[in-house]
Amino acid sequence: MSLKGKIALVTGGSRGIGRAITLKLASEGADVIINYFRRTSAAEATAQEARSKGVNAHIIKANVGEPEKIDEMFREIEQKFGRLDIFINNAASGVPKPALELDAKGWQWTMDINARAFLLCSQRAARLMPKGGRIVCISSLGSRMITPIYTSVGVSKAALEALTRYLAVELAPKGICVNAVAPGAVESEALKLYAEDMSLPRLSQSTPAGKLVQPEDIANLVAFLCSDECSMIIGQAIIIDGGLSLAPMS
Amino acid sequence: MTTENILTVEETLRNIVKKITRKEDVVLTPTTTFKELGADSLDVVQILVALEEAFDIELVDEDLKSLNNMGAFIGYVKKKVAEKKK
Ligand SMILES: NC(=O)c1ccc[n+]([C@@H]2O[C@H](COP(=O)([O-])OP(=O)(O)OC[C@H]3O[C@@H](n4cnc5c(N)ncnc54)[C@H](OP(=O)(O)O)[C@@H]3O)[C@@H](O)[C@H]2O)c1
Repeated sequence: MSLKGKIALVTGGSRGIGRAITLKLASEGADVIINYFRRTSAAEATAQEARSKGVNAHIIKANVGEPEKIDEMFREIEQKFGRLDIFINNAASGVPKPALELDAKGWQWTMDINARAFLLCSQRAARLMPKGGRIVCISSLGSRMITPIYTSVGVSKAALEALTRYLAVELAPKGICVNAVAPGAVESEALKLYAEDMSLPRLSQSTPAGKLVQPEDIANLVAFLCSDECSMIIGQAIIIDGGLSLAPMS
Repeated sequence: MTTENILTVEETLRNIVKKITRKEDVVLTPTTTFKELGADSLDVVQILVALEEAFDIELVDEDLKSLNNMGAFIGYVKKKVAEKKK
């Protein structure tokens, strides 16, 4: 599998799972555009690591929850790169509350960053892919399984997966494959926010595989979905969870 | 230089808090907390982002955890602004 010469945008590509995706795409030869929200130093460090793999790396600070910032980001990409081959919708945020405590502001914040951004970015990305391309969004098992305070994110991810199917059908004739990846618990900083009552060893035990999914596992799957070898998977949400959803807490 | 740069950190912060919390009378004293200003956790994130944009600085979440009131917070922002100017 080679992504040599491709140009990839990864939203939230500076840290966690997004960082692993950025570095995997870079190690397969793609030039990477790393979008991030606030932590410039983390974005610069990831860009530096990508460059050490022999590719170009460019960072763009933009809150994808704001349509104007999305416009600015894509204008910059168009001016600097002229086209895009791969778009990874990975950035996410959320308000960790049970459904009955979630207010309108928290709901809107999460939907804007997680779901609306996928629509607006995909529209702009598709225009920069006249010769076809790949769009992958990072969903979550929480789109269908329940975790107590995951309400806002879980619902936004359900929207993301539905949108994946609509975009996939509209964009397949243009040679753009759209798919979603739905991880279970991934060993990461963000996991601590939603599983604070569970220790990592206990979480690891909860998967039939006996270990937690790593950011690199997600990155490997995303890279495959972005490759030329993968052109007939269209509009799917592929679960990657070490078997957790088949035998929860077995 | 943006308009915010010629305002003091205190003035800029007050303007941002007013805009985000939609409150007219925002009084910042050294002991005021974000909670007392009527800012919830999402408001605080937006306030931080607006300050970062106004002064072109990065406020580090880990550093912010130990800052309990406006006095400490404004001191930290001023330090970041001064570091940026160096
Ligand atoms: N971790 C898990 O266990 C898990 C499980 C299932 C699904 N997922 C999904 O995997 C994806 C990555 O998760 P993660 O755990 O790696 O997250 P993370 O560690 O919290 O990283 C989030 C990344 O997104 C950026 N970001 C946050 N809000 C943004 C915004 N409004 N605009 C632009 N960028 C923004 C951050 O930039 P700054 O650092 O600059 O703020 C950072 O680069 C998310 O879609 C998440 O829902 C994660």
